[in-house]
Amino acid sequence: MSKRPQQSAGKSILTFLRNNTVPLMFILICAVCIPISGFSPEYLLNEIITRLGRNAFLILSLLIPIMAGMGLNFGMTLGAMAGELALIFVSDWQIWGIPGVILAMIVSIPISVVLGLICGKILNMAKGREMITSYIISFFINGVYQLIVLYLMGSLIPIAHGSIKLPRGYGIRNTVSLLNMRQCIDNLLAIRIGTVKIPALTILIIIFMCLLIVWFRRTKLGQDMRAVGQDMQVARDAGIKVERTRIISIVISTVLAGFGMILYLQNIGNLSTYSAHSQVGMFCIAALLVGGASVDRASIGNVFLGVILFHTMFIVAPQAGAKITGDSMIGEYFRVFVSYGVITMALIMYEMKKRRQKGTTGELLALAQKEEEKHEQQA
Amino acid sequence: MSNRRKWIFRGCAILAVLAIAALMFVIGRGHTVYIDNKTLEYNGETYNALNKVEVWVGDQRLSKLAKRERTSSTVIGQSFEMKLINTVNKGDEPTEVVVKLSLPYSWDGIVVNVPGYLAGLPQEAWMTEFVSAPEPVTEEDELPVDEENSLIGDF
Repeated sequence: MSKRPQQSAGKSILTFLRNNTVPLMFILICAVCIPISGFSPEYLLNEIITRLGRNAFLILSLLIPIMAGMGLNFGMTLGAMAGELALIFVSDWQIWGIPGVILAMIVSIPISVVLGLICGKILNMAKGREMITSYIISFFINGVYQLIVLYLMGSLIPIAHGSIKLPRGYGIRNTVSLLNMRQCIDNLLAIRIGTVKIPALTILIIIFMCLLIVWFRRTKLGQDMRAVGQDMQVARDAGIKVERTRIISIVISTVLAGFGMILYLQNIGNLSTYSAHSQVGMFCIAALLVGGASVDRASIGNVFLGVILFHTMFIVAPQAGAKITGDSMIGEYFRVFVSYGVITMALIMYEMKKRRQKGTTGELLALAQKEEEKHEQQA
Repeated sequence: MSNRRKWIFRGCAILAVLAIAALMFVIGRGHTVYIDNKTLEYNGETYNALNKVEVWVGDQRLSKLAKRERTSSTVIGQSFEMKLINTVNKGDEPTEVVVKLSLPYSWDGIVVNVPGYLAGLPQEAWMTEFVSAPEPVTEEDELPVDEENSLIGDF
């Protein structure tokens, strides 16, 4: 009698380990690297809170496409580019501080919507291959972005300010200073506990965003997205406009990514015009996966756990690498290798799980068919 | 919801967003105000630089300007207020003047000449636009960042 509960407990532990391999692995990495790095708890806490405020919004933008069954939206880079374009304009118009951030968000909306519509339309043509398609779209739009920023701004699109424009008269400089809006949101209502700074307003914005996502899931559109995510054919039969719903999910994600990028850059205080967006999708997706999300399932909890674990690794890895090997570049390479590795691992695990589920379903179906045949023979 | 009502709501939402954007344009316009203590020539007359003038913005002392010195302050919005504490001669009682300025929207940098202002001259005499010198073109400025190395770095 006692063997069964033991077996089921063992099985549930195994299932738990299987479902949470990535977060557990990261907890282990952090547990090893934190003492080696030698950082003080205050410093680590400060850094993690700063990075939480900086990145959480961006990562939250990934949740809605996952809900709609479109996987990890590598196309969030498009929103990031829209946010950057908006910041370039706002810097040129010399709108500073929080009004500058709000105006940049407003300006980014139409750009993000157009880019989201393009991305959504293309992804509808590539159903089942959304992730790789969105990844390639982000490269394509990056080319268009470079063309706009390097050649059209200042020549066709009016840019007046000399500190933004290249001295040749057109194109934008490698770095645009956002010093006049640097940490304006983080510093407003900031609370200091000892040496730890808590950006209360940024955290409130993130909490508001989380509540908005929770509310959105319960709306008609949110329910439609979940239905589409579970089974497109069934959703279509139920009268849901599948293509439209999928496009809306990508548009929302792109707009939120634009907002997230603006919040991210106001924290950093400068904009690397040609490269700030290039890795944003990759790192956000890696952080979400580190938090225990998968291609078809992600929650707000995954976002926060992911940011904390991924960024703890980001902070401690170079120092730990330097202490172990004497070369800080090893740590730098380690965190890049881990970022890509975790995405690969999550994709493999997702595929394995899907195949396992398919296999189990197939076995159950075969068993049911056999029993049916048996019943027929007996009759 | 009827189709017409839906479109009215959408229109109102867009208008509200545009109104917020317009408001941000007005209240968020940033300026750099340069405060000069330099001798000013106006209509053939000379207004000499002050011996020592303290410049306060809010509760913060920006600078104590000697002759031919300049300080600057950044401001968001179109109004700027500063306090000048002027000492005419060494040992004299300092005089305090509160200066309230309305800044032109289109000017990024604004130069305010203190001797001209204190002499009661018209605004065009003591308020001018700051124009920075053109930069020489260098090849380095024209090249975008090499993206190969952007994979490694902080996020």
